[in-house]
Amino acid sequence: MQLDHRIPSGPLTEKWDRFRFETKLINPANKRKFEIIVVGAGLAGASASATLGELGYNVKTFCIQDSPRRGHSIAAQGGINAAKNYQNDGDSVWRLFYDTIKGGDFRAREANVYRLAQISNQIIDQCVAQGVPFAREYGGLLANRSFGGAQVSRTFYARGQTGQQLLLGAYSAMMRQVKAGKVTLHPRSEMMDLVVINGQARGIVTRNLITGAIESYAADAVVLATGGYGNAYYLSTNAMASNVTATWRAYKRGAAFANPCFVQIHPTCIPVHGTYQSKLTLMSESLRNDARVWVPARPGDKRPPAEIPEPERDYYLEKKYPSFGNLVPRDVASRNAKEQCDQGKGVGDTGLAVYLDFSEAINRLGEAAIRRKYGNLFHMYEKITGQDPVKEPMTIYPAVHYTMGGLWVDYHLMSTVPGLFVLGEANFSDHGANRLGASALMQGLADGYFVLPATISSHFAESALLPINTSHPAFTEAMDTTKGRIQRLLSINGTRTPDEFHRELGLLLWDHCGMARNEAGLTLALGRLPKLKKRFWQDLKVTGNGADLNQTLERAGRVADFIEFAEVMILDALSRQESCGCHFREESQTGEHEAKRMDDTYSHVSAWEYQGEAQTPKLHKEPLVFENIQLSQRSYK
Amino acid sequence: MTVIHLTLKIWRQTGPESKGSFKTYESGPLATAMSFLEMLDVLNERLILSGEEPVAFDHDCREGICGMCGAVINGKAHGPEKKTTLCQLHMRHFRDGDTLVIEPFRSRAFKLVKDLIVDRSAFDAIIAEGGYISVNTGGAPDANAIPVPAFTAEQALDAAECIGCGACVAACPNGSAMLFVGAKISHLSLLPQGQPERSKRALALVKKMDALGFGNCGNEQYCEKACPKGISISNIARLNREFMKAAFCSVEE
Amino acid sequence: MSWILTILRSSIGKKYIMAVSGACLSFFLLSHLIGNSVSFLGKEAYNSYASHLHSIGFLTYILEPFLLFVFLVHILTGITLFIENLSARPNRYAVPGNERNWSASTMPYTGIIILTFLLVHLLNFHFITRTVSTAELVRTTLSNPFLASFYLFSLSGLTLHASHGFWSLFQSLGINHPKYNKFLQQGGLATAVIIGTIFILIPLLIVTTDSFLQ
Ligand SMILES: Cc1cc2nc3c(=O)[nH]c(=O)nc-3n(C[C@H](O)[C@H](O)[C@H](O)COP(=O)(O)OP(=O)(O)OC[C@H]3O[C@@H](n4cnc5c(N)ncnc54)[C@H](O)[C@@H]3O)c2cc1C
Ligand code: HEM
Ligand code: SF4
Ligand code: FES
Repeated sequence: MQLDHRIPSGPLTEKWDRFRFETKLINPANKRKFEIIVVGAGLAGASASATLGELGYNVKTFCIQDSPRRGHSIAAQGGINAAKNYQNDGDSVWRLFYDTIKGGDFRAREANVYRLAQISNQIIDQCVAQGVPFAREYGGLLANRSFGGAQVSRTFYARGQTGQQLLLGAYSAMMRQVKAGKVTLHPRSEMMDLVVINGQARGIVTRNLITGAIESYAADAVVLATGGYGNAYYLSTNAMASNVTATWRAYKRGAAFANPCFVQIHPTCIPVHGTYQSKLTLMSESLRNDARVWVPARPGDKRPPAEIPEPERDYYLEKKYPSFGNLVPRDVASRNAKEQCDQGKGVGDTGLAVYLDFSEAINRLGEAAIRRKYGNLFHMYEKITGQDPVKEPMTIYPAVHYTMGGLWVDYHLMSTVPGLFVLGEANFSDHGANRLGASALMQGLADGYFVLPATISSHFAESALLPINTSHPAFTEAMDTTKGRIQRLLSINGTRTPDEFHRELGLLLWDHCGMARNEAGLTLALGRLPKLKKRFWQDLKVTGNGADLNQTLERAGRVADFIEFAEVMILDALSRQESCGCHFREESQTGEHEAKRMDDTYSHVSAWEYQGEAQTPKLHKEPLVFENIQLSQRSYK
Repeated sequence: MTVIHLTLKIWRQTGPESKGSFKTYESGPLATAMSFLEMLDVLNERLILSGEEPVAFDHDCREGICGMCGAVINGKAHGPEKKTTLCQLHMRHFRDGDTLVIEPFRSRAFKLVKDLIVDRSAFDAIIAEGGYISVNTGGAPDANAIPVPAFTAEQALDAAECIGCGACVAACPNGSAMLFVGAKISHLSLLPQGQPERSKRALALVKKMDALGFGNCGNEQYCEKACPKGISISNIARLNREFMKAAFCSVEE
Repeated sequence: MSWILTILRSSIGKKYIMAVSGACLSFFLLSHLIGNSVSFLGKEAYNSYASHLHSIGFLTYILEPFLLFVFLVHILTGITLFIENLSARPNRYAVPGNERNWSASTMPYTGIIILTFLLVHLLNFHFITRTVSTAELVRTTLSNPFLASFYLFSLSGLTLHASHGFWSLFQSLGINHPKYNKFLQQGGLATAVIIGTIFILIPLLIVTTDSFLQ
């Protein structure tokens, strides 16, 4: 396997222009002749489908939910970054680029991230034109807020539901193409396999989630925009249907999986409260603008927060990181929360929580102002916990949130399987080892609105695509494999539900491949996986049959893939013996317990190649070259 | 941890054409910190292990924003709490010994799929008719080129918050989709960017809404009470206004 | 002009029809109310008002047919809406939610009550051969306790109908503004109650007192 990143030559600032000039185009009349499959209708998938349709391609778009408007992008709260410098506070494309690379702890490609920062401004223009009601100043111009890891105010937002508004924009643009006949929707369809013919991605196999029918679709290119795999941990801020299935099947068909161990753990989530818990809820990072994080200074102090006087409180982030304070990047904030709880200073029933306190901001700005800013988040918090954050501080704890890892893609967003493009959270491209707040929405939309539409034409122009249809033997083979697998899941008839296995897997990963990792723990977890997998395939219970809407079966299939995928994740975490960003190897830390990178050995992307059932996957390394920035130890002090 | 027990009467129906009926289950002990869907999860785990098919219900984000969940609890869409989706409803709002009757959203335009799952694709069909601003990717002017008063942007967002859950249709005695359509029309007609297609949009969306089998609005206001996002019926009035202007004052037909 | 039919046949178009016809009926109701309020001034005043009214040809030849037309439009559209709405929700819920909006949900039924009332009312006072003065006619007719209670019942129905209808017609025509909503909502309700009370007073006073219109 060759990892050719296909980054255009020339100075960083000119690469994207140069690419667009040098790339081969398809004339408008010929675009009509190409069929494209887009799997996923979150921000990345919907924006890509809309734009490809506008350009004249024929698009088929698939998603799991009953409507494409429900992709998990809808849950994004805080905002989207752009280098507009509307606040005149010293922002620029270069600064956004630098912050993002640095936030990712120097484990992303310069060229990709620079392009992202360049495109960021066009995204905001596009969204405003679509009618996305971003927050405004009284004079009518756009408002911004600040987010972690940046000292400028560059985040555009729509109350606490920016993702929703952006997704509705992309969704409606796509629905316009549905009306125009350029996009055909396939909701309630789950991709089960990728079909590769002559080394090119030429179609997919899906399960119709209502009828259970296994169907196949052929195309000239396949685009995966299926989101992240955070649900491998069972509990995460992801939606219930978020899965690794689509990317995992692509991996098994030859797409390399990059940096699977880079999983972001978000510092501000509502803590776990019971074994029945099905998901964790994020409280937007934007809260850290006005709230202070603290724990009791004395371990084991169980007094209610109001009874702990100021001098006995430990505002540990402000103390440790005077210049960024409560706005340090996510990985730093999460790790510090864990550290405090490990020292016995955690609060709440479980001792696995810290306070997020608004009282200082309420005194400064008034309750009304704070409610106006965060009302809907407070409302959500109160719904879940029954407590009012204005009256007592929120309790929060880190939770699995975002996966920087994903299918390996080159500058064109094409995977190692020609014709298979990967967008949004499903790829690994732009966030290195840690994603800064408000940059996933930016990346998803950059990929879908601007990058893919420009790069896909060069694929069509440069590759010889034989005419094929779904009667090709490769389709029959993929369909039979899928059917066989479903039959197997249904026929085990054991004694444990898919969720039980999922919970067990999640706990294993959380304990050993979570916020802090070490060789012993990872090795232990790796050793347990084959047994878990074996038990799964011997003792699973799925009710009903395959020819019907069967949610237990859906879940079983996804859990099966998570179990297989966990192995690659742990292997990746084991092989990267440095700490970087969210990947904290206890063996590699500075004297002050900060992540210590080893740039000489690990300045690369790890890409794993499937070698067959029960074979250890093969690791390939794409070296990361930094020509424009100086690598430094991240410091937010 | 407080624990309660409930009796659950749940609508079971294997498919759109089959006949459904209520089935009664005892909930067993439930923590009051549990969400409504987690309560169903616990029931379903038990059903699977006993070999009975679990209750099918739609859900995804479980944080009140995707609009996927929804059922009618004791006659109320999304349950008894105001401005709350089913997934954000917690067991602390019920009392030990309560009986909950759990039914799917019912309306001619939302065909039942299975148990509590209904088909809401009619909403997508309405949006496809013109619930957008027709701008291709690439040609947009600078985002600050057209100032939008903060109040207008807020008002548009109030309407744009609609999550497309369908509770308004489910709660309406007439199965009308006016709140959903009113919200979309309001969102886009309030913003300067939405002006060029304003009339066309109002006519097209209403036409589609009527064709899909939704009922007529009777200004009965059940929708507003059921709406988890607090979408106001002033959006329906705006739709009535927009439709009138479009019908009688514009050149669109 | 086929566009106008398309518009009026649409769901919102039908609302406009209901609202405009409802508004016309409301004006009729209001003038009818003012006219009948003369009865509180005594028998003579009332009789002279009635004979005056009958001598206006414009009323008989233009307003009456127009009123009939408006009633027909309102009733037929109302029935269409009722039937369409029934079929839009083929399956009812097993448990009716509490917090019913009574006046709104009963519009078709209170409408039918008004219709029945209207027919009876017209039989009583319109399609008859006159032998006595209007005041006497009203007094003797409504002295019948059976008829009087029917009037009380129907007029309560009318009040309920109007209590939703008055606000509703503004909403249907898109007249809604945060500054005036409260006024419209409460004003509509108050107007309905006032109209209803005054109307109801007439049969009530007739059966409970000896002096009214005597
Ligand atoms: C709670 C929360 C808050 C966040 N807040 C922010 C924020 O403020 N700012 C920010 O920048 N980022 C934020 N993020 C991250 C960001 O929202 C996501 O990374 C991003 O939206 C992912 O978009 P996507 O299009 O790649 O995938 P998704 O939106 O997850 O969409 C995935 C799509 O793929 C489909 N799909 C998945 N698997 C299959 C399959 N097997 N077959 C068929 N279809 C499939 C799904 O149906 C769905 O349509 C947040 C994330 C979460 C969870
Ligand atoms: C003097 C008599 C009447 C008056 C003043 C009156 C007034 C009104 C008004 C103002 C409305 C509100 C319109 C809207 O919602 O926009 C209304 C609605 C309605 N009226 Fe009447 N009405 C009268 C008689 C009747 C009769 C005889 C019927 C018989 C069927 C009827 C049936 C209805 C119905 C069904 C509605 C509700 C329409 C809907 O749900 O949208 N009305 N009426
Ligand atoms: S208007 Fe409210 S109830 Fe109706 S679909 Fe939108 S969010 Fe749901
Ligand atoms: S599951 Fe998403 S709104 Fe309830």
